Amino acid sequence: MVLAGRLLHRLLEVVTISLLVFLACIVVAAVVFRYGLNASLPWYDEVASVLLAWITYYGAALAALRRGHLGFSGLVLSLPPRPRMLLFILAEGVVYAVFVSMAWAGWYVLRVMAGETLVSLDWLSLQVTQSVVPIGCVLFIFAQILSTPQAWALSRAGRDAEADEIEAEIARAQAAPSQLDRSPSAGQDRRPDGDR
Amino acid sequence: MAALLIFFGLLGLILINVPIAVAICAVALVGMVVVNGEFGLYNAALTLFDGATSFPLIAIPLFILAGALMNTGGISRRLIAFVSALIGFARGGLAMVNVGVSLFFAEISGSAVADVAAIGSVLIPAMKQRRYKPTFAAAVTSSSASLAIIIPPSIPMILYGAMADTSIVQLFVAGVVPGLLGGLAMLGLCYWFAVRYDLPREEAFSLRRLGKATRDAFWALLLPLIILGGIFGGIVTATEGAGLAVVAALLIGGLIYRELNLPDLYHAMLDGVTQTAVVMLLVATSAVLGLHLTEIELPQNLARAITEATSNKYVVLMLLNVLLLIMGMFLHGAAAIILVVPIVLPLINAVGIDPVHFGIILTLNLAIGQQTPPVASVLVTACSIAKTDIWATTKTNLPFIGVLLLMVLLVTYVPAISMTLVDIFYR
Repeated sequence: MVLAGRLLHRLLEVVTISLLVFLACIVVAAVVFRYGLNASLPWYDEVASVLLAWITYYGAALAALRRGHLGFSGLVLSLPPRPRMLLFILAEGVVYAVFVSMAWAGWYVLRVMAGETLVSLDWLSLQVTQSVVPIGCVLFIFAQILSTPQAWALSRAGRDAEADEIEAEIARAQAAPSQLDRSPSAGQDRRPDGDR
Repeated sequence: MAALLIFFGLLGLILINVPIAVAICAVALVGMVVVNGEFGLYNAALTLFDGATSFPLIAIPLFILAGALMNTGGISRRLIAFVSALIGFARGGLAMVNVGVSLFFAEISGSAVADVAAIGSVLIPAMKQRRYKPTFAAAVTSSSASLAIIIPPSIPMILYGAMADTSIVQLFVAGVVPGLLGGLAMLGLCYWFAVRYDLPREEAFSLRRLGKATRDAFWALLLPLIILGGIFGGIVTATEGAGLAVVAALLIGGLIYRELNLPDLYHAMLDGVTQTAVVMLLVATSAVLGLHLTEIELPQNLARAITEATSNKYVVLMLLNVLLLIMGMFLHGAAAIILVVPIVLPLINAVGIDPVHFGIILTLNLAIGQQTPPVASVLVTACSIAKTDIWATTKTNLPFIGVLLLMVLLVTYVPAISMTLVDIFYR
């Protein structure tokens, strides 16, 4: 389970980061074409918007794997363990119900769309662009399952995932190459000829 | 009736810690199936896709990425050195530097948490070393970072602009004066604290040091000028400005300062896409709920009910301020915007409030929300860097929250503060 989680994480990392880089390149290319080459890219808005939707769903699965979606844990964490764990199961059930139904409906919609294409690129089928909804929902379900053991343990211990995330963020900022040593105010204490 | 069911359904799901995006979708799905049967589900699946394809929102991942690049590429540190040479000589200098730096660049990245971590982990230890009280250090860092969300470029404004179909550029311009005023007020407050508690000065002012810091930070200072100049001048859209910001941060951090390394870059991008996806999933699911609410005409009915009670826009604004302050205490900013805007927009239009003006009021309220526990991610981050208690810090933070509240009232009841620049340049 841990290995599968790690594999899915790596896969989603690569997919979402590639999409992001591609999106950034398209936006910059559009500016360059318009001002540098005096020619606009007619497909730019439509393709960039589709890329954003893809980032949304592949990234949402990634965030689910890290249990990073915004929520309010204040009430649940203040409850005693038994009701807390019951509500945990109930909340997980809601998540599965939503994403299973959306995966199914997304798949149905995909079949109806056969033969339709983007407006600006008539070789790109809507079935391809819209595939992200059922695929994203299925990936979200996998991510939710794979991250359950850790989330269960965290909830049992009465800890909040966001607190952990904040700690990691601070640890990273503090690990950045000796920022403090080079900050002017800290350096100044060590300088004997400081003009204070 | 339907409205109450939706409200309590949503509240219940959020309280049992269902992710907010999922809770929104769940409530909408139930409603749509009740009204339209099976077709409701197909409609929802289509809307989930369409809701995530909003062109203006492409600016969000790009600005988040640019901010992360600035934080990892040595740009933030040079800005801190520059601001320190500029205003560090004043009494309570480090506190002032803290405010100044926040105004310069905090929240160019969408994650106020990452920014507070970056600024705070440099300035808070330095302040503690200089015998500032840790609670004060945490409070200054946290509230000045929150104020910065009304200074462009700002992710909450982009989000609001897209949801309310309002010009993001005008929102950016409208935020400039209130942001600067708030910054001045916070500097004043820091000075008052400094006199009262005899806080230390940093090095005396020296033109030579300022010159050196300016040369060091030259490219870092040029970055916001190019981007905002491009957007305000109408040369590029906000989205394209964000794209340019990414390129500029890459060039400056990677080629000129040479501090960017690949693992950092990878990490920054990973954080950027995850944050984007979290916000965008909220946007997409709220589009589904929005579709259902429009079907049952809830926002329109709400607007009618309130305008029948009062059509005085200042009373309506006061009600909205109270609503937003309460929501800000319990929800993250992005979630609050996504939940509130579609519902109150018809009301705003009905009583004749300018949507740009309301955008600034909303953003300021959310800035306060980042400072008020229980849900206050920016404050929590600052406190854990300073290793202080959240409630003790909140006590010190009260005057700063007071400044933010004062700004909300000023901006609400003196529209000219935010709207004059917009009127001059765009109307």
